[in-house]
Amino acid sequence: MISPKKYVRATVFYGFFAVVTSGLVLQDMPSQATTPEDKSGAKECYESIKGATELVKKDNVVPKYGYPNVKCSPTTGAVLWYGDPYDDTEPMGDMPTFGDHTDGDFAQAVIRTRTKHLKTIIQNGTKCSGCHPAADATTQKNDPRELMMHQDIVSNATKLQHGRGAIWCFDCHNAANRDTLVDHKGQEISLNEPYKLCGSCHGVTYSEWRMGLHGKRTGEWRVGGKKRWWTCTECHNPHTVQEHRFQPIAPELPPALPRGMTKDDFKGASGHGGH
Amino acid sequence: MSEDKRKNDIDEGQDDGTTKESRRDFLKKMGVAAAVTTVAPAATAATTKAASIAEHLQTHFEMMSDSQKEAAIARLEKRYSEQFEKQVTVANTPAPDEVLFGYALNISKCIGCRRCVEACVRENNQSRDPAIQWIRVLQMERGNDTFELENWHKGSPSSSRIGDYGVQSGGHADKAVGISGHTDHYYEPEQVPEENAFYFPVQCQQCEDPACVRACPVQATYRDPNGIVVIDYNWCIGCRMCQLACPYWARRFNWSEPALPNEEMNPKTHYLGNRPRMRGVMEKCTFCLQRVRDGRYPACVEACPVGARKFGNLLDPESEVRKILATKKVFRFKEDFNTEPKFFYYMD
Ligand code: HEC
Ligand code: HEC
Ligand code: HEC
Ligand code: HEC
Repeated sequence: MISPKKYVRATVFYGFFAVVTSGLVLQDMPSQATTPEDKSGAKECYESIKGATELVKKDNVVPKYGYPNVKCSPTTGAVLWYGDPYDDTEPMGDMPTFGDHTDGDFAQAVIRTRTKHLKTIIQNGTKCSGCHPAADATTQKNDPRELMMHQDIVSNATKLQHGRGAIWCFDCHNAANRDTLVDHKGQEISLNEPYKLCGSCHGVTYSEWRMGLHGKRTGEWRVGGKKRWWTCTECHNPHTVQEHRFQPIAPELPPALPRGMTKDDFKGASGHGGH
Repeated sequence: MSEDKRKNDIDEGQDDGTTKESRRDFLKKMGVAAAVTTVAPAATAATTKAASIAEHLQTHFEMMSDSQKEAAIARLEKRYSEQFEKQVTVANTPAPDEVLFGYALNISKCIGCRRCVEACVRENNQSRDPAIQWIRVLQMERGNDTFELENWHKGSPSSSRIGDYGVQSGGHADKAVGISGHTDHYYEPEQVPEENAFYFPVQCQQCEDPACVRACPVQATYRDPNGIVVIDYNWCIGCRMCQLACPYWARRFNWSEPALPNEEMNPKTHYLGNRPRMRGVMEKCTFCLQRVRDGRYPACVEACPVGARKFGNLLDPESEVRKILATKKVFRFKEDFNTEPKFFYYMD
């Protein structure tokens, strides 16, 4: 979650920015109702990255069994169980074929779109291009420096935590159209298809993902069945992978101790002590 | 109850005389101890929705004719629907053809978050109080000698650091046989994974040669055509031989009447899977039989946030599990017990 301080900073800056550019499009942006985090009821849940994979529990999505879309943990808010694994998904669309063993069956593949989850868009009420007009594109180049914005996403833009100093914003973000990504061949890629971007540099992991070995799929187990494919940025924050490949999460509660025993009974006998 | 069903109940007693006899013989041999456990469900039935006499008299599920199965299922649906105050379905979806289910778990990815444990409980209608869980996640220190061959047999109860209880041969609450070094089920940090720890989830390994099936004196637990070891809860006599035989500490016993709040009850059930159990019977992971026979991934696979859990058909070379077997470093837990698990652990 964005810290209030940063939020204020961003908002103040944004106000300033709005005056300066005065070319903003504020309409038809997804506005999110600010539901307070309800932990006990666990109506607001997250999947893998807290702050980037949030979703809201909906009741009776599968009327036959009275299933909600998801069941979430009352202690952590984690999504634990899917009543409908395809809820809020869209067809994955084109996957390039490679003519090798990774050419799996993508015909029935669905994904959850990422743009709905980008807090920069949600909080500012504008698409990226609203602040980054294409006209600026010519002056954009990879020039690692402090930024006056996006500290909530990249805390220190001079030390981007991806690629050990070898890559920067425009290795992934499209200067000509900030609403999209771009790979090193100049191919424009939708923000909803990050795997095409990541795959251009992480070939081995990408082919494992296409085979279903890396990452995760939910839905039908059969080869060729309908599956939701989890996209790379549903598990990896592209701006912090060097700090954490996978952001640590809160665990669910431990099982009840056997009657008459305390936690100390289970501390390491070898003198290591428990954790 | 309709005329038809009553007739079926009577039929059961007649055409399955042989199986019934052997079960009764066994009970006699087992003597008082077993008999008490067996009677327990009947004695407490009044506290929940009474299981009908017919239910107690029904035969082994695999011995039933189609009409007997239908009747048994109708009985159960009625009882569960009344008990949980909603429409409960008890499916009898047959095992799909040409399928052998297998599971692969990536221990280099698992972060010990226990979402699988909780997903399983929500899917499979385990008792919430006392809380029964089918998956246990062991936390271990990285770099210890847990998987050294010479340590493989250490950690049996008699060498346990919490004293010599000498009761179970199949591991106990602290550690299962074959695991040495520091292991902990009860870790409770703010965040996982913790440094220097790795995590080892254990659940039913769906053995091809299951020690539990051999141990069951009444064949209430058996291997289904897809290789899943199932339990006919109505046929189980609660003797717990299977629990003792299992080297993986995978089986759980309902010592008391399971408590399952109505609103948490999953109404989509299968006879051999997640239908509510009664006091005095054994239960364990079935790879979510009610889901996988319908084509869905098991609940734990879907819940895992890191994608460490893979499931599929071992007979299909294109399946995820087969590709893992072909390309990864794979091992099976306590391989030297020759139980031939279809649950594989692997590393990247
Ligand atoms: C409220 C206006 C605003 C919005 C909305 C916005 N940005 Fe920015 N962005 C800025 C400002 C201001 C900078 C800082 C420029 C500087 O310091 O030189 C910046 C910098 C960047 C940079 C660093 C490179 C550069 O100099 O342009 C990238 C990359 C970037 N934004 C991407 C995005 C993406 C992707 C989105 C949409 C998800 C987005 N921005 C939405 C205002 C905005
Ligand atoms: C390795 C590729 C990569 C690099 C390098 C990169 N980004 Fe991103 N960025 C992405 C992807 C992919 C997304 C979409 C994230 C998602 O799907 O959650 C994104 C999203 C964003 C967003 C919107 C995030 C949100 O949740 O609202 C901003 C702002 C942004 N990037 C800014 C930057 C800035 C500034 C830099 C340089 C300092 C940068 N990015 C470098 C790949 C990259
Ligand atoms: C322009 C090339 C490029 C793109 C595009 C790119 N990465 Fe990377 N990524 C790198 C480099 C370089 C490293 C550093 C590798 C190293 O340290 O050995 C890295 C490291 C990582 C790591 C950490 C791996 C490790 O060994 O520590 C992860 C996880 C990762 N990237 C995920 C992603 C994801 C997800 C995307 C898509 C959003 C992505 N990358 C896009 C170049 C890229
Ligand atoms: C379901 C979650 C999930 C998805 C989806 C996912 N990853 Fe990962 N990925 C992980 C985890 C967990 C790790 C291991 C992190 C660790 O070692 O700490 C990992 C590791 C990596 C690494 C490090 C090297 C390796 O292979 O272990 C790279 C690079 C990477 N992922 C890239 C990607 C790319 C590219 C995609 C999309 C095509 C992707 N990931 C999709 C969870 C995911």
